[in-house]
Amino acid sequence: MKQLRHFFDLVARTLFVLSSTPFRMKEFSRQLYFVANGSLPIVLFCVGFAAIVTILEASFHMKLVIQNDSMVPGFAALLILRELGPVVTALLLTSRVGAGFTAEVGLMKTTEQIDALRMLGIDPVQYLVVPRLIATIVGTFLLALLASMTCLLGAMFVTDIHLGYSPAMFLSSMRVFVDFQDLLLAGLKGAVFGAVIPLVSCHFGFLCEEGAEGVGKATTQSVVVSSVSIIVLDFILSYVFSYV
Amino acid sequence: MKTETKVGILAVGAAALLLVFAMMMGVLSPFSQSHELHVVYNYAGGIDTGSPVRVMGITVGKVRSISFDPGYRTPEGEEVKLRLTISVDKKAWASVRKDSKFYINMAGVIGEKFLEVSPGSVEAEPLEDGTVVRGEDPPRIDQLISQSYGLAGKIIDLVEKNEGSVSNMILQLDRLTTNFNRTLVLLDKTSKNKDMVRLLDNAIKITDDLAHITGGLRSKKAEETYELVHKLLHRLEPLDAAAIRKFLQEEGVRARIL
Repeated sequence: MKQLRHFFDLVARTLFVLSSTPFRMKEFSRQLYFVANGSLPIVLFCVGFAAIVTILEASFHMKLVIQNDSMVPGFAALLILRELGPVVTALLLTSRVGAGFTAEVGLMKTTEQIDALRMLGIDPVQYLVVPRLIATIVGTFLLALLASMTCLLGAMFVTDIHLGYSPAMFLSSMRVFVDFQDLLLAGLKGAVFGAVIPLVSCHFGFLCEEGAEGVGKATTQSVVVSSVSIIVLDFILSYVFSYV
Repeated sequence: MKTETKVGILAVGAAALLLVFAMMMGVLSPFSQSHELHVVYNYAGGIDTGSPVRVMGITVGKVRSISFDPGYRTPEGEEVKLRLTISVDKKAWASVRKDSKFYINMAGVIGEKFLEVSPGSVEAEPLEDGTVVRGEDPPRIDQLISQSYGLAGKIIDLVEKNEGSVSNMILQLDRLTTNFNRTLVLLDKTSKNKDMVRLLDNAIKITDDLAHITGGLRSKKAEETYELVHKLLHRLEPLDAAAIRKFLQEEGVRARIL
């Protein structure tokens, strides 16, 4: 309960400071580079494989049910855009970026650097959380778009090679199910997940206990809570976009 | 390379992929040269913005927009309230003529809707860009179903009201078929009877003889005979008792019979 109050305190304080903080381009670029450019290879590699698995599984299931897999590209594209692209990206960022943030902030806490910042009259939320929050929101949005498109192109390639449907057929099947807004929805989901990662990570960083064990525990908790939050938020967003 | 530049390249890459996706989805089509037509309907059967437009089964465009136009009347005076703006590629434009028909059809296992344009005849004039044409309203399945429900209800009513008559009719029909079967069996037996066979043979012979006689009557000789008899009768017609008596008296013949 105390942790929950601390978390909402942090969220409120970040939102409050966000409006009054001058934009620090250099710090923002540094964090964005860490979040987006640094994670790009691993994200693209993983979603590429996710695309292959999606096509193979969808084809297998469709053949099992209706003995025809001509609609696989459409279904797979929809699944990639609405779920795989943003969720896989966010979960990968949680383990890579979120863990990094928690460890960094946690270590600063245990080595009393945060107290030093306070003594210098610098607000740690303004100095540490805000640039990370903006960078992760923007970074996850960009990565979700890139991942979704890479996943789609990968799916198109696998469909051509494995199922024998040409890219033109893939596109015409995709157009039956997919709208342009679906990619924007993927980006939006990415941005929301991107907001969760630094807030949860910094929250556990600020609550980090002394010693290596404390940092390890905080990092583990941060990754677990971020991942669970992303999955729950994904359900809420999917429900809202599909039925409301 | 500066960090800002690397980050900028990534953002530009993402924006470029967004544009690629928009082109893949047909939202942006900077290189296409298409013509536009307005097709009006009173019922569009579930077609949607972005649905394909096909000419002879080939996709050549899409439905760009759907708008409600409650006050629109065709030049013939018909009120048509729904307007579909469609695009047709330049390659297929020559096939779309004034006598082309615009149907809303359904295809595929999931029943995707599309607008089918039948090719016009070469004699018909080509359409101009932006013309308003009348589409063929698709049949309303829901109406058909409700009508068939009504019909089924009436049939059930009819049967229920005339239950006695219907069962009686069925009974009569049953008897009729039984009797008919019996008659057929009887006929079968009769045709196998020896006397019947003889009777039929004789009938055949008689008809053969009759044919022979009537054939003889139609011969030239017979015709001459008819003519002679006719002449004779013609001459004999003015003869009566007085004339015959006069003839006999003149000839000096006395006949007791007259």
